[in-house]
Amino acid sequence: MLPWDSVHIPDGFLSTPVWLALDVTGLPAVALLARRARRELEEARAPLLGVMGAFVFAAQMINFPVAAGTSAHLVGGALLAITLGPAAAAVVMTAILAVQAFVFQDGGILALGANVFNMGIAGVLAAWLPYHLWGAGRHRRTAIFAAGALSVVVSALLAVSELLASAVPVRPAALAFLLVVFGVSAAVEGVITVAVVRGIERLSPRIVHNATPERSWGLAVCGAGAVLLAAAGGLVASTNPDALQWLGGQLDILGRVTTLFAAPLAEYRARWLGSPWISKAAAGTAGALLVGLICIALGRAATRPRSA
Amino acid sequence: MHHVVLERWSRGESFLHARDARVKVVVLLVYLVALATTTPMTPIAGACYAALVAAAIVAARLPLAGLALRAATVLPFAGTFALFSLLAGDESRALSLVSKSYLSAAAVLTLAGTTPLPKLVRGLESLGVPRFLTLVIQFLYRYLFVISEQAQHMRMAALARGGGRLRMTHAAGAAATLFGRSYARAEGIHGAMLARGFHGRMELLAEARLGPADVLFLLGGAGLATALRLAMGTLA
Repeated sequence: MLPWDSVHIPDGFLSTPVWLALDVTGLPAVALLARRARRELEEARAPLLGVMGAFVFAAQMINFPVAAGTSAHLVGGALLAITLGPAAAAVVMTAILAVQAFVFQDGGILALGANVFNMGIAGVLAAWLPYHLWGAGRHRRTAIFAAGALSVVVSALLAVSELLASAVPVRPAALAFLLVVFGVSAAVEGVITVAVVRGIERLSPRIVHNATPERSWGLAVCGAGAVLLAAAGGLVASTNPDALQWLGGQLDILGRVTTLFAAPLAEYRARWLGSPWISKAAAGTAGALLVGLICIALGRAATRPRSA
Repeated sequence: MHHVVLERWSRGESFLHARDARVKVVVLLVYLVALATTTPMTPIAGACYAALVAAAIVAARLPLAGLALRAATVLPFAGTFALFSLLAGDESRALSLVSKSYLSAAAVLTLAGTTPLPKLVRGLESLGVPRFLTLVIQFLYRYLFVISEQAQHMRMAALARGGGRLRMTHAAGAAATLFGRSYARAEGIHGAMLARGFHGRMELLAEARLGPADVLFLLGGAGLATALRLAMGTLA
């Protein structure tokens, strides 16, 4: 079994600005996707998504043979995006991550926003991008492979970038090792996704065709954004990890700037409220909220159906 | 299986079991934030935070050793990165990574071990998590065991037919079959629920109400965690 085909970040690893920003942006984005998924899936909505989540859990018991006697299992983000559509897949992944965090201690609660962002949103949308572009044509198989591989590699790169931005020390040798592991896991997930989708097409052809690619241009664009973000993160992480730590520090500076805007409130603060920790947290929340609102506005603009 | 033990724990009876889910979630969040923002994480701070969780576990009459063992599921991940930190010569960072992730996991387990999932999910819902998402989480948890058992049966059947080590196409076929069966099951469930008057919300037998004990626990728990955080802040 490969060590990490998906990185669930536990609590205590991310610095406050990082987890706060991702909680504040990731969770409303899921709410938005949930509304979209409700609109798209007419019949058997919540029960279908819940049971599909249970399926992804159960499918991890099936061992897929990889070279040299090792085996791997399905991660599932790309498979869900292809069979249910990206919005519904993001909701299912979020539900899986929530159950993993609360019941199985796989991933933290404060880090849930980060994990949802990495695997539930960026991973799923990155998988959607190639399938949306080439899933219907001659290169369908390549597109499905790319979907599986991208979903794993994008979420893993984002997770590593977040850890580096939180000043978790990862030395170049360790980082190189991690990147190789992610590369292998991604290729394996791609192969497994192709095999399973072909199996589903043979056994129950109607299911795969329910997810119609035409509808989700906005989400495909978001997917391109996720891929670019992960690629940038991976590139910076592998060439100049200090830059990411610097970026983490900049997030704090963003917080300090917001404190300036909140200065009129400062006079009314009790003395203990004036401790740097509290004001930092408050400023961080304000900054993150702002970023969150911008993201929601952009998301709305991008996902609005053209026919409306 | 892991979640069966948790299920048994969560049906117990204690002061903590009886508290409102919303209150427990808020106290957990305050504790987690306090723990996460404590820098640097000194051994004394770690011991104080650990004592707080241990007190909650004892008050909930949960097995201390069993819970401590279960929380260790975070250690492989945390340990690897702690090792990276040690190699980089940052010992306090290594200690902080391991202790923070371990104590957070123990605290979350204490919540999950004193609150049955339907109540927990309902609590999250009234704290603002979208209902569609909580509904999906509930269905997921309800059918987790059912579908896992089906996967187990399929594996047994494959073994009985001599398929000791599956080839890629066989494994993919098994996954596709499981997918198709899950899909069909979901449609059946939905139809049956509609026939019984399902209107998009799970009903509980009793709506949760905040009692005086809940408010007391909220103030006490959140207060203790906050006080601990502030004390550690001035120490540092």
